[in-house]
Amino acid sequence: MSKTALVTGASKGIGLETVRRLATSDLNITTIVLMARASQDYDDNFAELQKDIPEGVTLVRETVDVGDRDVLIEAIHRVYAQVGRIHYLINNAGYTNPVAIHQVEFDDFERTMAVNVYAPFTLVQELLHLGNKFKVIVNIASTAGINGRAGWLTYSASKAAVINMSEVMRDELKIYGTRVVCLSPGRTATALRRVLAPEEDPTTIMQPQHVAKVIETMLGSTGQYIDQQNVIVRQ
Amino acid sequence: MISLLLLNGGIGARAKTAGPKQFVKINGVPILVYSLKEADEVEAITEIVVNYPAGHLDTVEQLVRDYAIATPVKFVEAGTTRQESVAKLLDAADNDTVMIHESARPLVTAQDFAALANSEHANVGFMREISFTVAPVDPDTQRVTGSLERARLRNVQLPQKFAAADLRKGHEFAIAEGRTFTEDATMCADAGIDVFFIEGDESNLKVTTPGDVRLATHLFRTRGEDDE
Repeated sequence: MSKTALVTGASKGIGLETVRRLATSDLNITTIVLMARASQDYDDNFAELQKDIPEGVTLVRETVDVGDRDVLIEAIHRVYAQVGRIHYLINNAGYTNPVAIHQVEFDDFERTMAVNVYAPFTLVQELLHLGNKFKVIVNIASTAGINGRAGWLTYSASKAAVINMSEVMRDELKIYGTRVVCLSPGRTATALRRVLAPEEDPTTIMQPQHVAKVIETMLGSTGQYIDQQNVIVRQ
Repeated sequence: MISLLLLNGGIGARAKTAGPKQFVKINGVPILVYSLKEADEVEAITEIVVNYPAGHLDTVEQLVRDYAIATPVKFVEAGTTRQESVAKLLDAADNDTVMIHESARPLVTAQDFAALANSEHANVGFMREISFTVAPVDPDTQRVTGSLERARLRNVQLPQKFAAADLRKGHEFAIAEGRTFTEDATMCADAGIDVFFIEGDESNLKVTTPGDVRLATHLFRTRGEDDE
């Protein structure tokens, strides 16, 4: 039976590479919903992606800021009405503005929580309320959520929340046979990483394709043997 | 097409809970959800009739909504006794075949419901052999009055399946005799109706005490894990 995947933060980085991999995986995914904010990157990369994907795979492009809960809920309902059951949900969208505690603006902390924590929660809860039965949910956390880092208060706190939220989801959604995977990538060459470490040479660290490959593995049958805890992905 | 009569109206005197026992949580999830969700997966069950303790309709309705139960659900206020509650649920049921279950048995599976649905017998329920001896006694004098043959006794579990007409006859019999039964298989048998049993699973326990809540949570969390 053909499957549907939904990937947030799909305009670039890990999200984009995940869409690319899933389109050619042996998971029988024939519909992939992409969620991301409007951007030139999104336009360019989506156009590129359309050329690459094999015949028989449909990409559904949803332009939405997942950090805006009301707008996100509308998008979820629209997508569900259009594509029906979402088998695989990859909560990948992330936001950070790393500053020291004295400089944290509360609005920015709320924005971080909205994108990194409330958005994955809202996607899961709204789809459950709609009667969706997930096969696998992947929440992208971070090694920064395992150990707090000076200067990354809001990001570390939000990713720690993702790790713990994933554990609760794993336990509660067991009644549906849903697997909940929590991945914590270390340094990965993404736009978000450039914000966290602007001086770093991105060619020396893990690439988004590597994480996307792990996500593909976790969605497949091998994933069920290694999904019981937060999985660290590191080069 | 089967109507599931889901008993959910008891008050948790034995479970020593703050609220009604049907809102006790197993593994963090309200106990009623387990039965609703498993029944929802059974194609033969086309209607769920659930009861609620007085004053708790909103809570039960909200659970049905939150957990997106797709099978049509009817809500009926609980009676003053279990027997009356079953009779009220039966009155509200639309199908000629009914199943009785109780939310206090959260480890029921869709396969359990399906096994009953597929049974050749019209009236059939899960029962277990008992591993202990039951003595008939006179509670007033504390005198043991005889013996019962264990091999001919069974622990009555739920769910059960009945022809609605037979179950109705059973209840009419109980009223006519002025008797109160604690469950329906023995009631129907006493009324002269054929009732059969199939072997139940020991994990399908009834949650009545705080210890049962812990045990059910453990059983649920470790279900399917055989590495211990």
